[in-house]
Amino acid sequence: MRQELVNVLAGNAFAMSDAQGDMEPDPAAPIGLFSFDTRFLSRWVLTIDGERLHALSRDELTYFETRFVLVPGAASHYVDADVSVIRHRSIDEAFHERITVLNHTAEPAEFTVRMEIGSDFADTAEILRPASREPVVVADTDRRQLRIRYQRDRFTRETDVTSTVPVEVDGRGMTFRIRVEPNGEWHTDLHVAMVIHGAGGRDLRADLESHRKRVHDDMRADLAHWFDQAPHLVADRKALGAAYRQALADLAALRYTPLSYTDRVPVGGLPWAMTLYGRDALVTCLETLAFTPELTPATLRMLALLQGGQLDDYHDEEPGKILSELRYGEAAAFDEQPTALYYGAADTTPLFVVLLDEYERWTGDADLVRQLRHPARMALDWLTDYGDPYGDGYLRYQPRNTVNGVANQTWRNSPHAIVDRTGVVPPFPRATCELQGYAYDARIRGARLAREFWDDREYAERLEADAACLRERFNRDFWLPQRGYYALALTPDGEPVDALTSALGHLLWSGIVEPDRADALAAHLCGPDLFSGWGVRTYADGQRPYNPVGAHLGAVWPSDNALVAAGLRRYGFDAEAAQIAAGVFAAAETLGGSVPEVIAGYPRALTRYPVQLPAAGRPQSWASGGLLMLLSTMLGLRPCGENLLVDPAIPTGYGRIELLDVPGRWGRTDSFGRERGVGRRIRAGAADVGGVA
Amino acid sequence: MSVSAAEHLARGAAGRHPELPETTSGTIRLDLRDGGHTDHWYLTIDRQDVRVDRLAEEADLVVRADREVFDRMATGRLHPAAALLRNDLTVQGDLKLLLTLRRLFPGPPDARHPRDVAGSPHRPVAR
Repeated sequence: MRQELVNVLAGNAFAMSDAQGDMEPDPAAPIGLFSFDTRFLSRWVLTIDGERLHALSRDELTYFETRFVLVPGAASHYVDADVSVIRHRSIDEAFHERITVLNHTAEPAEFTVRMEIGSDFADTAEILRPASREPVVVADTDRRQLRIRYQRDRFTRETDVTSTVPVEVDGRGMTFRIRVEPNGEWHTDLHVAMVIHGAGGRDLRADLESHRKRVHDDMRADLAHWFDQAPHLVADRKALGAAYRQALADLAALRYTPLSYTDRVPVGGLPWAMTLYGRDALVTCLETLAFTPELTPATLRMLALLQGGQLDDYHDEEPGKILSELRYGEAAAFDEQPTALYYGAADTTPLFVVLLDEYERWTGDADLVRQLRHPARMALDWLTDYGDPYGDGYLRYQPRNTVNGVANQTWRNSPHAIVDRTGVVPPFPRATCELQGYAYDARIRGARLAREFWDDREYAERLEADAACLRERFNRDFWLPQRGYYALALTPDGEPVDALTSALGHLLWSGIVEPDRADALAAHLCGPDLFSGWGVRTYADGQRPYNPVGAHLGAVWPSDNALVAAGLRRYGFDAEAAQIAAGVFAAAETLGGSVPEVIAGYPRALTRYPVQLPAAGRPQSWASGGLLMLLSTMLGLRPCGENLLVDPAIPTGYGRIELLDVPGRWGRTDSFGRERGVGRRIRAGAADVGGVA
Repeated sequence: MSVSAAEHLARGAAGRHPELPETTSGTIRLDLRDGGHTDHWYLTIDRQDVRVDRLAEEADLVVRADREVFDRMATGRLHPAAALLRNDLTVQGDLKLLLTLRRLFPGPPDARHPRDVAGSPHRPVAR
């Protein structure tokens, strides 16, 4: 089994190493130092007198800082070491590592400390099989610097490693021949600059005012401020407090400053999605409005700025469409991937409008709604002008880039995610059900914005009429009366794709469901085929394609469950929502640390422990944000006019929860909830029981 | 129908652009390098109105590239974002305005509308 990986991260930069702090290429994982989708260090291996080191302990101080305490030799045999090494690394826009060598003997000691250094400048898109590049290496002992530079046409990436103490530099690393006094110590600071060349060989970022402002910010103060601004949680259940703090820390870590913007927006997450994804960012913002609302205006403005402006098949772009993915690496630069600005997502555009409206409801920031009138209207018009290719009112997707575009342009974006109960794949264009829910909700919300802020009653009425038509048609065409749920999708000729999935919860969340059908949906969502005990599966058991380790064919996603639980509460299914929240928190608490973006769909009663998928990202913005939304759903937090409405439905075993200083248009206010059936004895280990009293 | 950047700027860029957000205002100077000399184009964006001048004044965003790079952008064959990442185009100042350029230049000439790709409704489409 592969040993554990250790990372430090900041925005879209991260360094992933083994437990010793060493980095060597691995086709299965993006090991190395990355920034802006480029690997700037692929080799970073420390030896002392030719021997590799073994970690005795590791202290993960913050998300951007880790300290390893190491001794020479392998783990298999115990050495009474008379020398130890501390590697203290941190990352911001650059990577730093302080190496300290401690001599534990009463005699002076001489050591040869060696750092192997190399870079393959791989793009994050090619970790499996990095292309062969031949960077130019300059070893400069006088300047104590090793420079590695890769150039393709004018595209240039450079890694500059500098030592603070004298060192012998060669093309493959740095060697320190040191003498350490009795019981003394020696250290050097290695500074690794990751340079993206712009005009005249200067760092592109240095020319961008927006980027410069961030560079000298004090990250620790920033993190403290982040925690300070978030609501304070007081919970009887201690594990809930730990999960809450971890989720907040994850969200802090996963903010980055885009080149073209001044404020930070969420990246998808480690390790494969360390860049802006429209969907992940929008969902993360929707999840975190009660906690960290400052993520939202930055995200909306950034996505408005990048809104589609032209028809472009390669980028699956249309006017008004909201971004799917933005990357900065070589593959994007040379159009080998469409990701310089990729728009292959059908859900981001309606969710943009949903978020704008929801944000105003929470914060009362009418100015933002007015400033974003044009992009919001373009988004709403896109639903009709480009999103509805048949003109029958349904939002459908079909990739025009069939070479390296995304086939399934929804959150279920794996290639075989959209299949019926027997595994039949529908043709394009596909109208998945949750898209209709989002499009309905976007129009209802857009109508409110048009009426209240844009002074455009006519437009509001048109949107409402379109929404009403869509709702009626949807409830007619998608409903499967004999099964008692809505089809996953419609084929181009209007045939239902009859799979049972967690998308039912998204339909409740968006409000498109007729109330008399909600009972049946809630029963499905919390029944044994969909509910695993840890959460609602993406795809229900009992259907041929079901696979507990299939990302969208049976696995359980916290982000998905957050929307499902919110949808259940919207329709009054409080106990069911609490059951799901309890399941997801139990998984997060049992695993400890950052909640993974997805866990396997095995029944909880079978495995007892949440089974992780090797490809699952961790931390991920929308997974960590999902925990916050589940907490908010438990407390029943909802803006109502100028006030915060609190309507708790707390799972059994949770006792009392206080969430203090919830920000919003009311300023700050406190919320409280207690599980029902107080007076009942709370058993030790009640954490394992999903359900409400 | 190959139009150079200069032709596009001279004829197609000035005027009213309802596709631009009303909140976008600023100045962009385009420096087109051609052999030994540089042509300057100066765009003033005021809400949805665009004025085009031949000036070498200071601007909120200065975009520099070879004329050929601008020509490819003006025919929709090169996305400004990709050109920036490639370092074929360099910028100084407010990068937000670069995306305005994307809307002032046309998209790829062979792009299709989703309707044309989807074919006729309610008829099985070949997989």
